[in-house]
Amino acid sequence: MSTETTLQQAEQLLAGVAKGTAKPEANRLDVNLEGGDLVAAASALSKARWGYLSALTGVDLGPEADALEALYHFCEEDAVTTLRVKLPRHGGAVPSISDLYANALFFERELHEMFGVTVNGLADTSYLFLPDGWPEGVYPLLKDVDPYAAAQKVTGGEEPEMGRKGDKFIVPVGPQHPALKEPGHFEFSVDGELVTGASARLGYVHRGIERACQQQNYVQNLYLVERVCGICSHSHATAYTNGVEKLAKVEAPPRAQAIREVIACLERIHSHLLWLGVASHEAGFETLFMYSWRDREVTMDLLESITGNRVNYSANVLGGVKFDISPAQADAIRRGLDKTEERARHYLNVVTTDSSFLARAQGIGVTSTAEAETLGILGPTARAAGVARDVRVNAPYGGYKQFPVKIVVDQAGDLAARFKVRVEEIFESSAVIRTILDHMPEGELSVKFPRRIPPGEAISRFEAPRGELFYYIKSNGTDTPERVKIRTPSICNWIYVLKKAVGAQLADVPPLLASIDPCFSCNDRMVVINRPRRGRQVLTWDELRRHANTLARR
Amino acid sequence: MRALVNLLFFPGGLFLIVLALTYEFLDRKLIARFQNRIGPRWYQTVADIVKLLIKEEITPATAHPTLFGVLPVVAMSGVLTAALYVPLLGFPSAFGFKGDLIVTLYLLSLITMCIGVAGWNSTSRFTMVGATRAFTQLFSYEAPFMLALLGPAVVAGSWQIGEIVAFQQGRWVLLTQPFGFVVAIIGLMGKLEMPPFDAPKAKSEIVAGALTEYSGRGLGFFHLAKEMELVVGMTLIAALYMGGIANPLEFFIKTLILLAILASLHCVLTRLRIDQTVGLWWRYGAVVVLLQWLVLIAWRGMVA
Repeated sequence: MSTETTLQQAEQLLAGVAKGTAKPEANRLDVNLEGGDLVAAASALSKARWGYLSALTGVDLGPEADALEALYHFCEEDAVTTLRVKLPRHGGAVPSISDLYANALFFERELHEMFGVTVNGLADTSYLFLPDGWPEGVYPLLKDVDPYAAAQKVTGGEEPEMGRKGDKFIVPVGPQHPALKEPGHFEFSVDGELVTGASARLGYVHRGIERACQQQNYVQNLYLVERVCGICSHSHATAYTNGVEKLAKVEAPPRAQAIREVIACLERIHSHLLWLGVASHEAGFETLFMYSWRDREVTMDLLESITGNRVNYSANVLGGVKFDISPAQADAIRRGLDKTEERARHYLNVVTTDSSFLARAQGIGVTSTAEAETLGILGPTARAAGVARDVRVNAPYGGYKQFPVKIVVDQAGDLAARFKVRVEEIFESSAVIRTILDHMPEGELSVKFPRRIPPGEAISRFEAPRGELFYYIKSNGTDTPERVKIRTPSICNWIYVLKKAVGAQLADVPPLLASIDPCFSCNDRMVVINRPRRGRQVLTWDELRRHANTLARR
Repeated sequence: MRALVNLLFFPGGLFLIVLALTYEFLDRKLIARFQNRIGPRWYQTVADIVKLLIKEEITPATAHPTLFGVLPVVAMSGVLTAALYVPLLGFPSAFGFKGDLIVTLYLLSLITMCIGVAGWNSTSRFTMVGATRAFTQLFSYEAPFMLALLGPAVVAGSWQIGEIVAFQQGRWVLLTQPFGFVVAIIGLMGKLEMPPFDAPKAKSEIVAGALTEYSGRGLGFFHLAKEMELVVGMTLIAALYMGGIANPLEFFIKTLILLAILASLHCVLTRLRIDQTVGLWWRYGAVVVLLQWLVLIAWRGMVA
């Protein structure tokens, strides 16, 4: 189906409730709504199975306009329908649509915490991202609020209660726990070995990057968003540059697009190998962990040889890339891929035939295709359950138009399928890199890019190793963005873990957690808060910068 | 005087500790090489124990302090006592008597009981789950493991380890009772909570299981007890199944072969869930051993 008919379909579905529509881009449809009609509109889309809820963006239109906007982005193939709900800046309310779209739960809690919008029907309104003891009524993404001043007023929150809660026996996982190398807090109530309840608390590494983006210019932001995640830094950088390039109506030259894709594919290979190690460690298979991390080094060395960095490659500039791939480097990449493919074949053999491994992976955490769609899960986790969603295929961007990838899908929906899908994606990425290296377009690496960006909105979707990465960028005609919204894939997949942990064996919970390849720094993102002996210490951005400078001077 | 030497230096006490630390080093080094790592230096195991012994021991407020302190000592003394009845280095056991095989088997279980009780006593959520798992595992491997080790005794017609060893001169029980041997080895892995039977201390689930709250001396004692149990257990299997142990050279060859088997199994298997462990032992381990016992009894009946 063409994008146009898909959008027409959406327009018809929403005709009853729409208070005006607009088509800002060929693949986008904006529909204005009253807050009260939101449930009707969402259920019309959900009944017709039109796409999935990809993100929920809050935008503060400023004290002068005295209004907020809540944007619900739905995606189907490359078509994006945005439901726009206008709200007063203080005391606005929207109904919850989490009954229809399970992943809306975390989005709505974020909207509530960051903008102070009341979401009617939201069961849990305790802080998900902000620290305990954050002053009440201070919503950090409102433009006239100073979150750094508010951070100074954070008082010591409550310690998590130890021991029994009522008659429930609770096993805590995190924020410091051997199963998690990153901080998150989960409470699993157990009955013997059986898990009967699960809850999550995120935000331990919330760094306020979205707010910081609104205070720096477009070029500075490139380096900031790259630090959202250490594993998929190139994904963030490219999703951001693609969005800004769309706004500026500048296209990066073909050679730059191809190089971006090569780095993205290498990043996917290293991320999947890293994940393979972590997931097998959680399941108690140390040997596989040790070997997959050894073999990941080959890819890390390749990335380093191209960009000079192992993480945060900093390969992109607005309008192109910084680094070329010389024929000698191309040969080195091919040799590295030979080695990686050989090892990946071995791993594919292990994860599909090793009986002691399969005893822990087969039939665990099974999701049907329909359930995966309702939960709104993304990336390899969804593809392992038969949901054929991959932005690189559904809505090709950049180099993927010229050098397409094949989608890897498995129907089983269990842990073993997720291992299989990810290992097979290593082959797929490797094949694409070979094609690109053989047919590398000639030409410039970058084009001139304007400092000021014309006003407008852009949506940039990118298939990161963990699933669809969603960027919403709004420009107001200056050199600083009005709003940058980052929706990472991990936040969409948590709901799956919390749902599937209930009824599972305690021993299966760590592999379940790991199976979505969670990335905490991705979905959290505030000022550094650590806790010396007395109270909390909060560093503002300026203090942090000064601190770094004094360290550097030493 | 001789008894005192026996208790403090050989085979109990100092000698066993040195031997245990050496074997632990070999075990760790082997596993590391299997996993493509460098592995520890030769003195690492000693350094670990010294560090633990000088570290402060923190007793949880809710735990019974005396019990908390006594349990590691009981666990260690259980293994040390067991060492007096096995032919360490190939020398006849120091205090052998009729029926010492049974006593040894019970003394070897003492450590698991101590770990389990220590877990309950610590009253942390991780230790309690760990203790439950340790006991569950004990009840699943213990019966097949004991039956497997009593098999050779039935053939030899004696409950004394020394006599079984003597009986085996020239013939290996391993050849006539291969299933018992396999069950005994896997049982030893279960006893030592080695992967794939490390669910009671699975770090990605329950941190360090029953021993999570132990930090200093207590942890060091438990650790040492476990490594000594590795040596005593391997000696026992070698003595009962692998043609006995006549001299130190034989002792080292046979136990090192066993160690290599244990380390490779450790490396190639994924951790079993506790329900899978129970299923494995009662569905396969116990059945196999019981079948072998039936054959043994039938054979004894025919010969006699």
